[in-house]
Amino acid sequence: MALLRKAEHAPQTEDFASDRKIVKFVLVKNREEQDDSAEGNVGSFEEALLPHLDAAHNLARWLVRNEQDAQDVVQEAYLRAFKSFRGFRGSNGRAWLLTIVRNTSYTLLKKSRAADLTTTFDEEIHATADESVSPAAILEYSEDAELIGQAMDELPAEFREILVLRHQEGLSYKEIADIAQIRPGTVMSRLARARARLKEYVTTRIGKEK
Amino acid sequence: MNCEEARKLTDGYWDGELDPITNQAIEEHLRDCPDCEQAYETHRSLIRVISNATPYYKAPAELRERIRSSLREEMAGQSTRTVAPDAKPSFPRRRPESRTILWGAPWNWLSLAAAVIFAAIIALNFLPGGQRSGADQFLATQLIASHVRSLMANHLTDVASSDQHTVKPWMDTKLDFAPPVVELSSEGFPLVGGRLDYLDNRPVAALVYQRRKHFINLFVWPVAGDAAKPTTSITHQGYQMLHWVDPDFNYWAISDVNEKDLQEFKQLFEKQAPSR
Repeated sequence: MALLRKAEHAPQTEDFASDRKIVKFVLVKNREEQDDSAEGNVGSFEEALLPHLDAAHNLARWLVRNEQDAQDVVQEAYLRAFKSFRGFRGSNGRAWLLTIVRNTSYTLLKKSRAADLTTTFDEEIHATADESVSPAAILEYSEDAELIGQAMDELPAEFREILVLRHQEGLSYKEIADIAQIRPGTVMSRLARARARLKEYVTTRIGKEK
Repeated sequence: MNCEEARKLTDGYWDGELDPITNQAIEEHLRDCPDCEQAYETHRSLIRVISNATPYYKAPAELRERIRSSLREEMAGQSTRTVAPDAKPSFPRRRPESRTILWGAPWNWLSLAAAVIFAAIIALNFLPGGQRSGADQFLATQLIASHVRSLMANHLTDVASSDQHTVKPWMDTKLDFAPPVVELSSEGFPLVGGRLDYLDNRPVAALVYQRRKHFINLFVWPVAGDAAKPTTSITHQGYQMLHWVDPDFNYWAISDVNEKDLQEFKQLFEKQAPSR
């Protein structure tokens, strides 16, 4: 009973400093138990991954080539990411998120447009595209978003994705390999092929305009 | 290095992804081979065109909102799923030895009840201010998440006004309670506006005040039952939180201002709040 009486007479507004110490102690103890809870992670999840929303949307938009689908993919990807966020221990949140966005995009592509995924492209012939076009002639298109956008849209998904990751997100070969789930050695050759395709598109256009 | 090898590596060279020795070999080759040099220049122009001209599709603002609210729904769903199972594991942890002693005997439920009551008494007496610490900690985490979200996602206020007579009626229409809203701008805590939020499994009022360049979120909701408890101050992840209750409402103030400012804010708020 002595204990109970002590509780009754405990001052309601306690000494601030000592009160805080006690709470802090309890907090530390509880943090271990709660660290893995999704609730505890929602703030840090948003802090870590919402800044990459533009990158996520851009990649999805290029992959599914349709604004509404891209938004659905991104939302779905964020939910997936959130559910497995406690398993994420890396430091590269952007690459991790983009991997999920990519996989989600492919799930949608596989469902709706299987044909889009097959590359019917003869690499050997196209890799040695016409080199007679001068660098200056190509550079004239450096503001032509419409042309490059069209050219990109005609590429297979695996080329669109690698060009976006390299040229728009500035990711390293290693990061691209992780996201696209290919060997690092494949990144360079795939990038070379994708660029060659774009170059072919641009030089064809230049040839037509001559 | 011959031309064929050099052409194969051009992309890696341009991207700066080759090892230093290969890099140097390519540079030497480009210096000596006009054809490859020309091809490389063309390639470089193309890469510049791709980098410059590829349209970048930024996310529309409403997508951000959509994601935030879907996360919130997900979080609400998860919290109802996880709170109950979470509550149990801490229970045997408090009396690790009793499980083996009491296991199997018919009288163990009585002993168990006694042990629980005893543990509760101990807990109540030795952890003043911390009786609800598990719940408080859970809430504190939610509060930080809410606070951070309100600042980062451009959703600080639903009603932006420094006039308490605008903010309060707005709140009154949206909630099933009428939170006190006071004006503290002459004391250095101007009212920025109000917002609805969801905490502790209920809609709550979030009043937003400013202290210099910092924002203070004050979450207010009605007291459930007899919850008289001392003021609690919590520091977590660099945020200051201050919790107090009056006969009608729970208050949680959270900010990145220093502890003294938050204390001052609380005192001013309490002084100005209409007593009931």
